[in-house]
Amino acid sequence: MNLELIGQLVRLRYKLLWAKTRTRNGKIALFFSGYILLVMIIALLSAGGFGAGLTAVRSGKGTLVAAAVLTGVGLQALISTVVLGFGVGTIFAETELRRYPIKARERRVVRHVIGILDPFWFLFLALDLGLAFGLYLFGAGSFWLGLAAVVLFFIANYLAARLLTLVVDRLMAKKGGPIVLLASLMCLGFLPSLLQPVFQKKSPIVVALGRTVIRFFHYTPPYGAAVAMTHFDLAALSGIGVLLAWLLALTAVLVVIERRPPKIRSAQTTAITWNSPFERLGALFPERYAPLVSHWLRFYFRNNRFRTIYPLALPLAAFLLFFFGKQAGPHSTFPAALSAFAILGCIGTAQFAVNQFGYVSGGFRRFLLLPTDPAAAFRAGSFTFLMLSSALIPVAAVLWCLFVPGPFDARALAMLVSASVFSLFLFHALGLWVSLLAPRRGSYTTSFGNDLSFAANVVVIAGMMIMLFAPRLLAKAFPAAVSPVYWWTVPPASVLAAAFYFASLRYTTTLFRVRREQLLAIVEGKS
Amino acid sequence: MDSPADAIRISGLVKRYGTVTAVENLSLTVRPGTMFGFLGPNGSGKSTTIGCITGLLDPTAGQVELLGQPFDSENAAIKRRIGVMPETLGLFDPLYAHEFLAFVARMFGLDEATTRSRVTELLDALELTDTSKTLADYSTGMRKRVAFAAAVIHTPEVLFLDEPFESIDPAGVSLMKQWLRRFTEQGRTVFMTSHVLETVERLCEEVAIITRPGKLVWQGDVTVLANDGAIACGGREFRALEPLFLHLTGERYKDLAWL
Repeated sequence: MNLELIGQLVRLRYKLLWAKTRTRNGKIALFFSGYILLVMIIALLSAGGFGAGLTAVRSGKGTLVAAAVLTGVGLQALISTVVLGFGVGTIFAETELRRYPIKARERRVVRHVIGILDPFWFLFLALDLGLAFGLYLFGAGSFWLGLAAVVLFFIANYLAARLLTLVVDRLMAKKGGPIVLLASLMCLGFLPSLLQPVFQKKSPIVVALGRTVIRFFHYTPPYGAAVAMTHFDLAALSGIGVLLAWLLALTAVLVVIERRPPKIRSAQTTAITWNSPFERLGALFPERYAPLVSHWLRFYFRNNRFRTIYPLALPLAAFLLFFFGKQAGPHSTFPAALSAFAILGCIGTAQFAVNQFGYVSGGFRRFLLLPTDPAAAFRAGSFTFLMLSSALIPVAAVLWCLFVPGPFDARALAMLVSASVFSLFLFHALGLWVSLLAPRRGSYTTSFGNDLSFAANVVVIAGMMIMLFAPRLLAKAFPAAVSPVYWWTVPPASVLAAAFYFASLRYTTTLFRVRREQLLAIVEGKS
Repeated sequence: MDSPADAIRISGLVKRYGTVTAVENLSLTVRPGTMFGFLGPNGSGKSTTIGCITGLLDPTAGQVELLGQPFDSENAAIKRRIGVMPETLGLFDPLYAHEFLAFVARMFGLDEATTRSRVTELLDALELTDTSKTLADYSTGMRKRVAFAAAVIHTPEVLFLDEPFESIDPAGVSLMKQWLRRFTEQGRTVFMTSHVLETVERLCEEVAIITRPGKLVWQGDVTVLANDGAIACGGREFRALEPLFLHLTGERYKDLAWL
């Protein structure tokens, strides 16, 4: 094993990370992420570790509490990596590493060592360590066994995330893969809510099934780690054994899948077509935008990530309505619907609208050579996203009318549709600014991963959080405000949002002219 | 009688990136119907100059006139009359060649019938008929051909080509040279950069040589070289472009004893 070269490559990854901070945006991002990281580590250490340790000691159920905490941490890590794309970005591709004199096994080690040393994963490590330390301090476990369990659990968690990402990536590359994934996500999303009434009945079959699930849980990494953290005797070693078995199994499966080259999808088109649906949709726009809108539609509908996220928008909104509507009590359906409709107005195109040119790479240069106002491509891109997101609103309105709980109320429908229109314009207006002020070169070909800039992430994540929780909080404080009685408050807000969008369009056109050289450098990877 | 306007006129062009000067006070003119070679060592500012005179970049100072009219990045009317094959090609990888060319043709205002016929003819002539591959799957040479096709599809009056022959096979290069000769015979202008000095010597009528940072050191007629003539420069005579280039740019590579 060429450990020296492996070490050099790991160092290079951190040098590249540091190099990003040479730009102003990078420095801001570093400051905030460093600050947030520190605060989170402290909070996680105290809350996760000491809190869990204290609960474990007081309740006398140390293993169960630790297992529950570790399950939560593990699932969080999986969701953050697989769904949100944090911490799984490929720094060095296999082909890039081939230029160095290292063997296949060493290349794999380099990739995964770099992967697991991503600063994002340190958050989870901090939480795991905090828990083990808390348990040790309250006398519920051994320090060294706890430490060993944390390290093994952490690696197993990373490997599971990698494996899942790889499986999803391979699935996405297959024909019909996005549909299979969509169906799987839907099932996973709805299953707990659908099974809840069945489990509440406590029939013998359900009880037997529950026991089997609990028995299986005893052989999972979180439980294994929890056993090792909370025992001093041979039982602790059995926990370590469970973790080692999982590590071996996950490594073996990962290696097998990585060794199998991804199947290249056969061509979708072999005959030249001149008048595709993209051209027909583009023709709905004024002549100077028509080819550009068609182009953007074609460009994004060929993107795996877009083809996954956009069709998910409607089912996700339905899920939010169903899930939050039930969770928060009998009178929470309307606030949940308001959240769902607002999110629907932007979620399908959010990731792309805040980084419009991030995926075009060298193609950006072409836009500047075309015999048109250089910002026309920028405006056309925004119109495309606006059109795609707005297309979902009438579908959602029809579905609401068909499945509305209780009698039909036109005021409620007006309020919901206006909430969608409000977020549609507001979010896409913000998208215009962020696309120009905080763009980031992304990978067009990867199906998952978060390659948005810090500012874009803030806009997307904070935007979704606000839309998700603001109606519920408002409903608690002023119940009447989030009811159809006050339906007339939302349409004027939508008009204001539309005005903000068109004003942004105008100002960002000027900004585009000023920023286009920087944009060119960023999207072509020269800055 | 007025002589026709210069195809390209650059006066005092300066391009700076912060404190770094990429092009320094560059002035040159190119007559219509000329095959013009724009040469210089790596990093001398050739691509930056092309960027500034085709609207990709904004010059820090200086004026650019194309086809007798002042030009800047907002001048769509002039952009419609020029064709550019940029250094990085400017392709959209997920598109098929015909989709990309049709998009460019439509943006240049070609009607639907002309778009379809020209795309088909260009794909056929440049042997890009494999419609099962997207541009991402094409080889470097094929991608270059697509970029060349996109630059000429609207029959521009001035054609800017940045390293047009690099990575293209000999048959492709021969075809492109043939097209470019006919192009200039019709009174159109070609402005190209290349590091293959033999090709420039045989193909171009006029050449400009720049050194770092974008400073013009020589401009002149090179047709004499094809007739066994010589170019006089700095009290010396040069019978080929390469020694003249090396003399003017001072490019020398150090010998590495261990290599």
